[in-house]
Amino acid sequence: MLVVAIDIGGTFTDLLGFDSKAGTFVQAKSLTTPAQLVQGIIDCLRKSGIEASAIDELIHGSTIAINTLIERKGANTGLIVTRGTRDVYIIGRGNRPEAYNLLFHRHRPLVPRRATREVDERVLASGETYEPLRRASVEDACRALKEQGVEAVAVCFLHSYLDPSHEQQAGDVVRKMLPDAYLSLSHDILREYREFERMSTTVVNAYIGPKVGGYVKSLKSSLGNIGFNGNLSIMRSNGGVMTPEVATERPVAMMESGPVGGIIASAQVGQALGHTNVISFDMGGTTAKASLIKDGEPTLAPGYYVGGYASGHPVMLPMIDVVEVGAGGGSIAWIDDIGALKVGPQSAGADPGPICYRGGGGEPTITDANVVLGRLDPDNFLGGQMKLDAAGAARGIAEKIAKPLKIETVAAAQAIIEIAIAKMSLAVREVSVQKGYDPRDFALVASGGAGPLHVIAIARELHIPTVIVPQFPSHFSALGMLAADERHDFIRTYYSDLASLDFGNLMKVYEEMREGARGSLRNTKNAEERLQLDLRYVGQDFTLSVPVAVKDLRKGDRKAVRTAFDKLYEHRYAHSSPEDPVEMVNMRFSVIGKRPTLKFPRLAKGRGSAISHHRDVYFTDAKKALRSPVYQRARLTAGTRVKGPALIQEHGTTTVLFQKDVCTVAPSGELIIKVGGA
Amino acid sequence: MAQARKPQANRPAKRKALDPVTLEVIRNALPAVANEMAADLQRTSYNMMIYEVRDFCTALIDPDGKLVSQNVGGVSHFVADLGVIITDGMQRYGRKGFKPGDVIITNHQAVAGQHLNNVVIYAPYFYKGELLMFMMVRAHWIDIGGMSTGFGAGPTVADPWLEGLQLDQLKIYEAGTLNDTLYRVLKDNIRFPESSLGDMKSQMAACRLAAKRMDEMFDKYGRETIRSAIETIFDETELKCRNVVSQLPDGVYEAESAIDDDGVLKGEPVPIRAKVTIKKGEMTIDLSGCSAERKSGVNSRTLAGARVAYKALTGPNDPVNEGSFRALNVIIPEGNVMMARYPAPMSSWSIMIPMVVDTIVKALAKPMRDRVPAGHHGLLGGAVVFFGVHPKTKRRFVVQSIEGGGWGGRPYEDGESATVSVCQGDVRNGSIEGIELKCPVLVEGRALRTDSAGAGKYRGGLGLDMQVKNLVEGRWNFEQTRRTVCPPWGLWGGGDGDPSAYLLRLPGENDFKMMVGAHIPVPLHASAIVQTGGGGGWGNPHERDPEKVRADVLEEFVSREAARDKYGVVLRDDLTVDQAATRQLRSQQR
Repeated sequence: MLVVAIDIGGTFTDLLGFDSKAGTFVQAKSLTTPAQLVQGIIDCLRKSGIEASAIDELIHGSTIAINTLIERKGANTGLIVTRGTRDVYIIGRGNRPEAYNLLFHRHRPLVPRRATREVDERVLASGETYEPLRRASVEDACRALKEQGVEAVAVCFLHSYLDPSHEQQAGDVVRKMLPDAYLSLSHDILREYREFERMSTTVVNAYIGPKVGGYVKSLKSSLGNIGFNGNLSIMRSNGGVMTPEVATERPVAMMESGPVGGIIASAQVGQALGHTNVISFDMGGTTAKASLIKDGEPTLAPGYYVGGYASGHPVMLPMIDVVEVGAGGGSIAWIDDIGALKVGPQSAGADPGPICYRGGGGEPTITDANVVLGRLDPDNFLGGQMKLDAAGAARGIAEKIAKPLKIETVAAAQAIIEIAIAKMSLAVREVSVQKGYDPRDFALVASGGAGPLHVIAIARELHIPTVIVPQFPSHFSALGMLAADERHDFIRTYYSDLASLDFGNLMKVYEEMREGARGSLRNTKNAEERLQLDLRYVGQDFTLSVPVAVKDLRKGDRKAVRTAFDKLYEHRYAHSSPEDPVEMVNMRFSVIGKRPTLKFPRLAKGRGSAISHHRDVYFTDAKKALRSPVYQRARLTAGTRVKGPALIQEHGTTTVLFQKDVCTVAPSGELIIKVGGA
Repeated sequence: MAQARKPQANRPAKRKALDPVTLEVIRNALPAVANEMAADLQRTSYNMMIYEVRDFCTALIDPDGKLVSQNVGGVSHFVADLGVIITDGMQRYGRKGFKPGDVIITNHQAVAGQHLNNVVIYAPYFYKGELLMFMMVRAHWIDIGGMSTGFGAGPTVADPWLEGLQLDQLKIYEAGTLNDTLYRVLKDNIRFPESSLGDMKSQMAACRLAAKRMDEMFDKYGRETIRSAIETIFDETELKCRNVVSQLPDGVYEAESAIDDDGVLKGEPVPIRAKVTIKKGEMTIDLSGCSAERKSGVNSRTLAGARVAYKALTGPNDPVNEGSFRALNVIIPEGNVMMARYPAPMSSWSIMIPMVVDTIVKALAKPMRDRVPAGHHGLLGGAVVFFGVHPKTKRRFVVQSIEGGGWGGRPYEDGESATVSVCQGDVRNGSIEGIELKCPVLVEGRALRTDSAGAGKYRGGLGLDMQVKNLVEGRWNFEQTRRTVCPPWGLWGGGDGDPSAYLLRLPGENDFKMMVGAHIPVPLHASAIVQTGGGGGWGNPHERDPEKVRADVLEEFVSREAARDKYGVVLRDDLTVDQAATRQLRSQQR
């Protein structure tokens, strides 16, 4: 079986293919061509030498959805709403998260007010129809939108999560009167209460729909033209994949799929090595991202704000929970107006890049600090393709940081790294400690070009005993895509006291959700199903998603549900109130079409030293460099033990081992490090 | 007592030398603790005043009452105001009077200076047996007895005894043991004990969490390092603020405004006057010109008005600590409406503060012309409050939502529409569907009001109308500060924004009528409209690009008539700009 993952990033398009019969990987990289993304994919495929007709499945991740929104290059979109709610989308929640900022900005609506049309209809919170849909008012709205030349239409009525029939009827009218327009009905996208968030999610879907839908279609036909007749799968924000048909209808589901691949890969690698609880740590050029995996499962956040909480667009679809901080290899170190040393969030990026890249960058970065400390080898960067300017890096740090702080250059470089480590440790803490998990019970999986360079220091800071540096750490996202299951998540608001919950009726809703859910799966064999209830104490607003067994619901086992909630609450917040009444707000249902686990090739056993040379490297003491062996990862064999201090170099990154760290090479090639100082 | 403060730029420096890394790490870690407390409280709280209105603050305070760190976000007027509680608590109990496991509850107005709903829970923090800090959470309880239900008792309550329970630095836990008598007094004298005592539990859990984090930090860095870092952080924060103010020309700047009345004495405006003196990087905000204390709940004891303004102008996005206000002198004499003497009623303590902030900001419009916006709606939101007992379920219900209004035009762009006041930060309105799921009402509309914004080169943001029909009998609270005598002001030739109002239409009537008052009973199927004000305009409306005016007309933010009358822009019937007629009209209107 030949599975190929193609991941389009900002700079590079990455390809990773795996032939499970032969047990071999194929890699290729080409520059991303923003204007012709589809052509870029075809080119990358050609470059890899893979025959399109030989591919059984092609998994694709792309930033096209989020870029279309952020660059505001979506469709001319119209919005049809319940009478009285024309401005709900503009008004939003009326909040100002930056409390002291007099010059704050709210989200900038994607639909102008004049393209928002009210129609006559009303459903009540009980689900009863208060006023039937007046077809003529929808026809009027369509005529007005047609005149404005809209290319996409979103429909969002109050309480449509309870009774979608008005939206469905309105949809029929839109299809008839605006046959060429891309149409999104809010209940199809999200059946959850809170009209602004649902409306925003639906509008985003409609806004990016024509462009992203067109892209998916054209990708499919272009691949067909070069002989591909396998399955095409699209990465989505929840860590699963979907068919091109689903992606065309719900492009908003692929919005935040960028960081997801690496997290899935972390889960898989961890599981294969017997670590079901891992924290994925990915550090690239501009940011570092942390995400928690418990019992082999990435954690999902119920929604997010594209462009940030303060002035972004809410998209209430589950995405893998990631905490991101502005610390990457290119992050700039600077001194603020009171003389304090800061690192990031500004980044020198790839252009001009760190000083040592010789691309004209003049600001000292984290990468420059690593060069000064001897942790990055200037002569062996990217396999020696790029010679780094070590003297320039030292000069930059001396002038911009060491001099104003009146410290030595090496001490300044170390200070830069330590501040970055502290920042990233807070991110790792946020995904673990703040959710009630002790990071010491987790292994840290490092990826990204800068991840293995810094991971040990973070592990020490948080007392994490085990660090794993996987195979292909700088192509990790594509590797994760190869392992991603097919996954769909559904939500239904169902508001009731737990004490008076009608389980029979609930099961009816469940069966209905299940029916619809399985229809969107490509492969229903061995599909896994998950059911959760969003519960809270009466009077609270935030809910906890509590996993429940279908058989308990079928039996109407109120007590089992109740106990599960109290227990989870206690775990998360360290207190609970078993005597207080509980209410149910939503039901969540997921179906997961499992992919057979990929069996990666094993490392050859062998002898011979992997040490290529020795270098002076600064670790914890800025006064004294330690003479350290440099290992070539490609020459490491299974079972090899490497003791720190040491560096392990490979094409895209370097792993730094401190004193007392002990690294063992797993038979499958991962570096497993027992952290000495943790 | 005049609240003048001496700047303390040159304190004796008997502290440990710190490396820049340790200092920076501690600088980031301290606010992270307060923020983690806030996140925990918000997720576990039982009342919308906490999880939607964010009417709370969390803080670490040292035994001298100095603010070590405070959470970011939430309502702004709690800025750095917990120190006085600790100074007072230390006087009562003495350093030796606190034991590990103590939890103190307090809301007394003589010290806290706010309405009784704002209940402070705090716990002493000991490290290796030494009292080093207090973990504190102030949160708005949905009820504290008396007339306090909901947003608070309103301005007409005559004194604190009528308002609710007064709790004066009482130990609800003593060395880990619950004071059962006090607990029962609380439980029996508040209307929603499961909510309020649930919140108390959440407040205590947040304090415990902070103690755990501080243990980790003290273990790692040691007592001396942390103490020195905190002092250094205070100094550096002060310096940052000074650097901003020292860019401004020295001088005395003044502005004034007023609210229509204090809610009791109708028709008599309550004056607000701000005098701001800038001298060599130091700012003095003198509020002596504001009204004397009133026979109404608008009184308070708070520096919040001055501090929120100063913070917004000096470093809006940096975390708050004791250093944030060292270069600020605030003058408010005893007996002033914002330095009222116990037992003056304080049940509506915060309603004037957004106007006070805006007035101080306005005073600085001249020296900060490129940064100061025109006036905003200036009220603590269009409060939507309708309550009663559901006749079928016999359950009590309260509809509560805060609706935003317009903000002022800015020196380079239009103001934002329908957003909460300068004191309310991350306060969210209630979703229509959420309100209807919980309460027997029908929301008939939530809509921006055309022409509610002040005209200007950069116009203000729009106010809104929230229209609600009741499906069972109940009572409305139509209490809100009004500002018809002093609407949200324009700047540099910009027009004023629309004021706010409450309107009511009873069944069978055709028109809405203006309403004011508390606990107004309404029969089935009445409709009420909560109107919020618009923002003022910035600059002469005639300088606004006619194409922008046209766009506003197309969007129905501005009517065609207002385009002509206020902006001097003539539109043809197809809504294109008639350039010649516009030029002529603008020269006539000049």
